[in-house]
Amino acid sequence: MYGIFRENLVTFKLYGGNGYLLFLFVAALIYLLFTEKDMRKKLVIAIAPFIVLVLFFLPVTKIAFVAILDDGADTYYRILWLLPMGVCIAYAGCKLFESHKRIGLVVVSAAIILCGSIVYKNEYMKRAENLYHIPQVAVDICDVISPEEGEPRVRALFPEELVHFVRQYDTNIMMPYGRDIIAWKYYNAVHEAFENVETINASELLKTTRETKCRYIVMYKDRSIDYSLEAMGLTLIDTIDGYNIYEDPEMVE
Amino acid sequence: MILIKVLLLVFWLLIIPLCMGLFVQSILPTTKKTLGITFICGYLLSFASFEIVAIGSMLKIKYGAFIVCCSIFSAVQMIIAILGIGITAAKLRKSFTEAREEGTISTGAFEKVKAAFLLTFPGNKKAEPEALMSPRTDVRLLKLQYSKEGIVFWAIFVLIVVFQLVMAIAMAPFDGDDAYYVVESLLAQQADVMNTILPYTGSSTSLDIRHAMAVFTMWIAFIAKMSGVHATIVAHSVMPLVLIPLVYMIYLECGRILVGSKRDALPVFMIFIALFQMFGNTSIYTAETFLMMRTWQGKAMVANMMLPLVLWLFLWRFDDCRKPGYLWKEETGGGKTIIRNSTWVLLFLVNMAAGIMSSMGIIFCGALIGLLSFILLIYTRNFKIIIKVILAMIPSAVYLLIYLAVWMP
Repeated sequence: MYGIFRENLVTFKLYGGNGYLLFLFVAALIYLLFTEKDMRKKLVIAIAPFIVLVLFFLPVTKIAFVAILDDGADTYYRILWLLPMGVCIAYAGCKLFESHKRIGLVVVSAAIILCGSIVYKNEYMKRAENLYHIPQVAVDICDVISPEEGEPRVRALFPEELVHFVRQYDTNIMMPYGRDIIAWKYYNAVHEAFENVETINASELLKTTRETKCRYIVMYKDRSIDYSLEAMGLTLIDTIDGYNIYEDPEMVE
Repeated sequence: MILIKVLLLVFWLLIIPLCMGLFVQSILPTTKKTLGITFICGYLLSFASFEIVAIGSMLKIKYGAFIVCCSIFSAVQMIIAILGIGITAAKLRKSFTEAREEGTISTGAFEKVKAAFLLTFPGNKKAEPEALMSPRTDVRLLKLQYSKEGIVFWAIFVLIVVFQLVMAIAMAPFDGDDAYYVVESLLAQQADVMNTILPYTGSSTSLDIRHAMAVFTMWIAFIAKMSGVHATIVAHSVMPLVLIPLVYMIYLECGRILVGSKRDALPVFMIFIALFQMFGNTSIYTAETFLMMRTWQGKAMVANMMLPLVLWLFLWRFDDCRKPGYLWKEETGGGKTIIRNSTWVLLFLVNMAAGIMSSMGIIFCGALIGLLSFILLIYTRNFKIIIKVILAMIPSAVYLLIYLAVWMP
């Protein structure tokens, strides 16, 4: 039981990141627990969150959560979503500086800004290249290989960095493997031959792509390969932003 | 062409939900009949009705399920919206006829529009000075004028939100889950299927009931289909423009109850909330990170829309525990049962809407409603609450039963 409690503590720390905003929330919660005179408000935004916080740390809650949800162990942190952190901090801030609104506005805003981390500096946040919010290179490559209206769908092999985006742009392009193979490291013969080797074995790659009926292979021009795909009979139909697009004539219906 | 698409987006994302909200408005107390709450209620009803139509279509129709779903859902929305407009129009006509008979009708066009607006949304009416001076007035029921300082604070809040909306379009967060959820929406739009093609590769697949029951991806696809805009653009660039302000509207209602009559504190409260959303990215797990980086995903909406909705409805419920005051009968249309229980009706809709967001939404909303209802029960010692909460939880129970029935054939 103590081990599970420690796990919950780690989850709590990971949720809080630098921990300062969590500290601000806990401080606001304690402040409201002791100073809020209106019992109705206190019950909803102080006592109920306090109970949720206590329940979060209880090992039995985690045991029940994991039993109910398949991925409960990975998503246990979401119980913390039940805590109205923003509301508690904002209301405590308003209450604390009730008669000094301007000072309160500056002090509490500064506290939130300094304790927090701005979302736009997140490592996964990039400047948008288009309204689809996917890399423009993926859009341009898809435009080249996308089947015309009435034509059958095509299957294409893409390097890992583009796999996530292809079908967000065009579902008429199928792939031999998707994000599941990359994220959860499942076995896939095409992925093994294309990504899990330092130098691609061209004949091995073609064997797997033909088995999965891949008409196109998209490969970065500097990707190490033992034998040119063009020499293997494929046609280089275009190069976009350094990505070569090969068509396999044997797979053209 | 682009203009038509934009107009269609405005129609399906703003006008229709607002008109649907007018239908729900008849069960709200007078002071809650504001433009904002009407809009929130419209979205709740839209999500709730979509749950029935989408899950029904998905489970019953084998081929071309999505096109059938779109046809039924658009018809349902239109009917509810027309009913909402009809109810409001009848109310306006009656009021204007009475005013004409009494000779109190305004002559100017602007005055007429203003009068029509305040009759449609009486909750937006600001308190008259004489009402404020009366010792019998319950000021918690009235909307007050803001001071100049308060207006400046509101301007700061609006600027922060506008900045967030601009950044929502200018910045592109990467999230691996989009390869599943966004593609599900796009598949529905492009191939008319509902969760029967594997998003990752395009191969056919059996219904993955855990993800399939959370039909928020299909709701996004519906908006994409009706507007003709690519589903990925709808998800990544349009949804934040609608859903982030909607989330702030819910927090605004929470704040309105919390600050009570100290109205100038409300914009300050909202500034703190807006900053907290923007700076709450202390880890990839926080609800704020989900709102700003994955707005279009159901789990982000559970954390940032459904749970705050539960919080607001219970703040409202607890607020109503006060002794009936001077305006109470007027507020509840003569103490009508449905109006006095409107929070429970809205909780019923929240439970339906939570189901379209994520199966987790059902569990989390259920848990929070259970906890807050238990506290309410202890506070009021009114055992009728048990029956009301059970009735409000019916959608969750039905959802779980369908889930289990499909999962364990």
